[in-house]
Amino acid sequence: MIIDHPLLGPRDAAEFIYLGDAALIDRPDWQDEDAADKFYEYGYLRDNIAGKMQELWYHEQGDRSWLVVTRDTLTHEITDVEMARNVARARGRSK
Amino acid sequence: MSQINRIKGGLIDRSQSLDFTFNGKTMQGHAGDTLASALLANGQVLVGRSFKYHRPRGIFTAGSEEPNALVQLRTGAAQEPNTRATVAELFDGLAATSQNHRGPLGFDMMAVTDLLSPFLSAGFYYKTFMWPKAFWEKLYEPAIRHSAGLGRLSMQEDPDTYDKGFLHCDLLVIGAGPSGLVAALAAARSGARVILADEDFAPGGRLNAETLEVDGMAGADWAAQTVAELASMDNVRLMTRTTIYGAYDHGIYGALERRTDHLPGAGGKPRQILWRIYSKRAVLAAGAIERPIAFGNNDRPGIMLAGAVRTYVNRYGVTPGQRVAVLTNNDDGWRTAADLAAKGVEVRAIIDTRDAPAVCDVPGARHVRGAGVVDTSGRSALKRITLTDGQMIDVDCLAVSGGWNPAVHLTCHQRGRPVWNDDISAFVPGRDLPQGMVVAGAANGQLTLAAALAEGREAANAQVKDLGFTASRKAAPKAEDEAYEGAPKWHIASGKTRAWVDLQNDVTVKDIKQSHQEGFRSVEHLKRYTTTGMATDQGKTSNIPAMAIMAECSGKSIPETGTTIFRPPYTPIPIGALAGRARGTDFRPYRLTPSHEWAKANGATFIEVGNWLRAQWFVKGSEAGWRDSVDREVLNTRQSVGICDVTTLGKIDVQGKDAAEFLNKVYANGFAKLAVGRVRYGIMLREDGICYEDGTTARMGENHFVMTTTTANAVLVFRRMEFARQCLWPDMDVHLISTTDAWAQFAVAGPNARKLLSKIVDDTQDMSNEGFPFMACGEITVCGGTPARLFRISFSGELAYEIAVPARYGNSMIEALVKAGEEFDAAPYGLEALGVMRIEKGHAAGNELDGRITAHNLGMGRMVSSKKDCIGKTLSERPEMNREDAEKMVGFRPVDRSQKLIAGSHFINKGDEANMANDQGWMTSVAYSPSLEHSIGLGFIKSGDTRMGEIVRAVSPVHNIEMEVEIVSAHFIDPEGERLRA
Amino acid sequence: MPDFTLISAPPLAGYDRSFGDIQLIAPTDLAIVSIALPLGGEDAAKKAIKTAFGIALPEVGMSNVAKDKTSSIMRLAVDQAFVLFPSATPDAEPQIAAKLKGAAYTTDQTDGWCALQISGPGARRALERICPVDLHPNAFAVNAVARTVMEHMGAIVARTGEDTFLLLSASSSAKSFLHAVEVSAQNAT
Repeated sequence: MIIDHPLLGPRDAAEFIYLGDAALIDRPDWQDEDAADKFYEYGYLRDNIAGKMQELWYHEQGDRSWLVVTRDTLTHEITDVEMARNVARARGRSK
Repeated sequence: MSQINRIKGGLIDRSQSLDFTFNGKTMQGHAGDTLASALLANGQVLVGRSFKYHRPRGIFTAGSEEPNALVQLRTGAAQEPNTRATVAELFDGLAATSQNHRGPLGFDMMAVTDLLSPFLSAGFYYKTFMWPKAFWEKLYEPAIRHSAGLGRLSMQEDPDTYDKGFLHCDLLVIGAGPSGLVAALAAARSGARVILADEDFAPGGRLNAETLEVDGMAGADWAAQTVAELASMDNVRLMTRTTIYGAYDHGIYGALERRTDHLPGAGGKPRQILWRIYSKRAVLAAGAIERPIAFGNNDRPGIMLAGAVRTYVNRYGVTPGQRVAVLTNNDDGWRTAADLAAKGVEVRAIIDTRDAPAVCDVPGARHVRGAGVVDTSGRSALKRITLTDGQMIDVDCLAVSGGWNPAVHLTCHQRGRPVWNDDISAFVPGRDLPQGMVVAGAANGQLTLAAALAEGREAANAQVKDLGFTASRKAAPKAEDEAYEGAPKWHIASGKTRAWVDLQNDVTVKDIKQSHQEGFRSVEHLKRYTTTGMATDQGKTSNIPAMAIMAECSGKSIPETGTTIFRPPYTPIPIGALAGRARGTDFRPYRLTPSHEWAKANGATFIEVGNWLRAQWFVKGSEAGWRDSVDREVLNTRQSVGICDVTTLGKIDVQGKDAAEFLNKVYANGFAKLAVGRVRYGIMLREDGICYEDGTTARMGENHFVMTTTTANAVLVFRRMEFARQCLWPDMDVHLISTTDAWAQFAVAGPNARKLLSKIVDDTQDMSNEGFPFMACGEITVCGGTPARLFRISFSGELAYEIAVPARYGNSMIEALVKAGEEFDAAPYGLEALGVMRIEKGHAAGNELDGRITAHNLGMGRMVSSKKDCIGKTLSERPEMNREDAEKMVGFRPVDRSQKLIAGSHFINKGDEANMANDQGWMTSVAYSPSLEHSIGLGFIKSGDTRMGEIVRAVSPVHNIEMEVEIVSAHFIDPEGERLRA
Repeated sequence: MPDFTLISAPPLAGYDRSFGDIQLIAPTDLAIVSIALPLGGEDAAKKAIKTAFGIALPEVGMSNVAKDKTSSIMRLAVDQAFVLFPSATPDAEPQIAAKLKGAAYTTDQTDGWCALQISGPGARRALERICPVDLHPNAFAVNAVARTVMEHMGAIVARTGEDTFLLLSASSSAKSFLHAVEVSAQNAT
């Protein structure tokens, strides 16, 4: 596969490490009342979609950026690639 | 034997004669021949024996689809089995032998299997060799393996080398036949970067095999002219002898380039190159493959596809026979008769399964309308054919044409399914093509030359326009639309005589009918049950006929019966090419520590740790075994001073205004308040609460930390920290960069460590215990000004330091340390001694951190700070992971001190039966402690921290050994830690 | 005063060999210092770079030669760049830190890498055996930089001239990296 890196252009997927569901960005707050349940869901109940899915890929043999790749898991078609840092900020993560 | 079948014409170079041998017999051919054409020129019709029945077989095709003519090429270690004679380019000195027979090719003792054929029907092996079960391994399998199989391996190391590589292009054109050449030229003229690949050594495809004209010149001449033009263009890479074997995601193609297979020797260069081609677009112009018609005894040497006969006649100047008949169900077969007659070869009959008028006039040939062939005779070569009406014709070659199948293979590699086209009675590419691919020419069902040329141009123009190039306006070259109509005919009823569908796997019409009767209705089941379509040719000539016969059995149409799709590779890829350079010591890269050269010169034995080569121990004097060296290294370190290269530990430079806060998040224990100039031990958790990593981090400045990780986890820790900083806390100002290789780091450990280091460290540094206490760190200089980093940390439990210098000084540094330590008998120690000392000191390592262990298990539960968040914190607090009776890490020693503990033993309370229900825990690490002079171990046991002094049994069912062990503190040496603070 | 002197021995020191139309040389005394741009302090860091080197920080995937030609800067990531310059002494990081006056974080990378310069008309022919990145002149301009993987080893490739490329890879696997490049050059000639 080829991942079209937003800054570096198309790169072979062999340069990347795959992690999984981009929901891993949404780490719960440890001080929430039901933090234990939320972390349980965060850690164990991730989606594994047959179809379009947002995934985390790490450009380990490259610029070391984490990317959010929108990929159809049935066809491997990639429709969007974003810097995960920007996605995380857009989802409200900060410090 | 001379070249009795050589006729005039062809694209061979008659001025160059090449000697070759077949089964030891010397023959001659010419440059431009394949082994197959040269064998035919020499009248060698019988070239091999079939897979199952050991039937005599000849050359069936003129291309990579060949099912029969598999030979062993070359001799000795370079011998290669199962090579298709039809694509093996002739060179001077080529040595080929036939395969799959015992005794001479002409009298194969295994041919007796042919007489047993009534018993060897579809599924024979499945049905016969089932019982008794015990016979399978010892009797059936060896016997079957011996009689089956094709060629033989040399069993020697492959003397050739192979390489890999990466290519990029705007447009990849697959196939250099008429449509491929036009496509490549059109794209190249637009300025696009073009790769044109063809498996043949002579580009041109069918143009080289036919007498058709393009733009008023001979097709082969037009092809040569076009190739010359392409070769002169900078933006074109012309790759002959290159098979595009697979279509992968996003325009990636696999290609095998055969660099030296056509030469007597490789000359030290790679024999083949496996390319990964990144294409923005592709035009598949792979052409079409002719299919046979099944009839009685249709497998005799001399029976050949009609298009292949034309190839031998027109391209190679060889006639496959002197008295030829043609069996066809279509107009195209007639051209074989016409081309043969034009070269003066006697054509005795054209048997057309259609009851239709002659397509063209073929002088001297009888036209038999609406007829077929039902039987043939001739033991090792065709002598006679019998027609449906009973008449017999003496021939030595029968050219068979059952129509053409577009070569749709690569269109299926991304799960695309071909669709049936009634006009040509064949599958054509479906709509779900691999990304960026279009298909042109015969591969797309355009079976005339004019149509193929036009479509090649259109396809390329559309593709380059899509990429933003201006398409060339030049028209496609002119050619005729030759006749190609046909009426499907898959097999001719031949009574009880066997009619072959798959020549390579010896599958007959009867086998297919029988498997249908037995309930194998899916094409995929049929394939597996009969083995049709398997092995080196992957059913290129047999799949569609087999499916057609199955359709007949079920009374359905072919598309209703199913389609079969294709997987890579298109043709076989040698394992050597897939391995590329990754052989022997080049299997993977290796990393050397900065003191590697010194260690090598000083008796080190090395061990691979990940990619690192680390000194395992250093042999000194007369030491006979590894234990001698390791025991000495441990005692020497504990009694005086030892030196160990610990560069392999991961080092991560962490900087930023939020670096301290960031470390608080990734370490379970607190780091924010670590003072500048101090080091702290820390543990890292996975988000599920499991402890996966430990190490030390030094605070070099307010915003600057140097982290050490375990050797094994260096990459993983870095990756997870990048995840934390980019995805979890994106607004933290923190920056990571690896410095693992930048610093040569040495542990200097033992009571004399300070004295030794004081001779190395520049005077400006206060080395006293007060000036540089336990867990201090600092940037210093050594040996008169060389920058260095000093950390007072200890893995061994002794007074110890780790000292780092820029890696370029590493080898010199260990020399200096050893020299400075001479007065203390300082000696290097290796990984084994390091391991012994960490067990003696009770430090957890990889054996303990096995992916199931929590801080609670390690006795470090209180290190997980309750005041702050960190990765893994919340889930580490789950009650089940914090049970009172959880396994705790403790030490063990054998009650009988002479016994040797075994890692992996499980603990069972005294008096209990040794089973899983009574399992108390397990032993993780053991070592012989030269300090204590007995075996010691670390392990996890339920409530271990409260069971000191208790005796339990350590049971190892694997070794059938059990012994009594005493639970003790994991700190076997200096439990109070006085030494390391000294 | 200690009685010992440390001798510098970088892994590929002095390497210089030709393979047909391909030249391989290990540059001597090439110092490398990484620069990390502080979050929120990017503009100040860029300004400091401009002041120190007389050039703007290049875009990611590009490099640029400093105004006085004594160093070059390659931008490897949004917040990371390498400064390369000749320096025989082990004080590369303080040199750059002094120039940037605290506007960026610096780390000495000199000893973490080995460097090989490959040049000549056949350079691309050799590199296509190990480098997955498209190095065609139209796709990889002079001054382009890419961090990628070659023969399982992380590597940086920079086009420093018409047919000249600078390759960087981890210093611990320098011998394996050199071997990979040498075999490529041998195979491609």
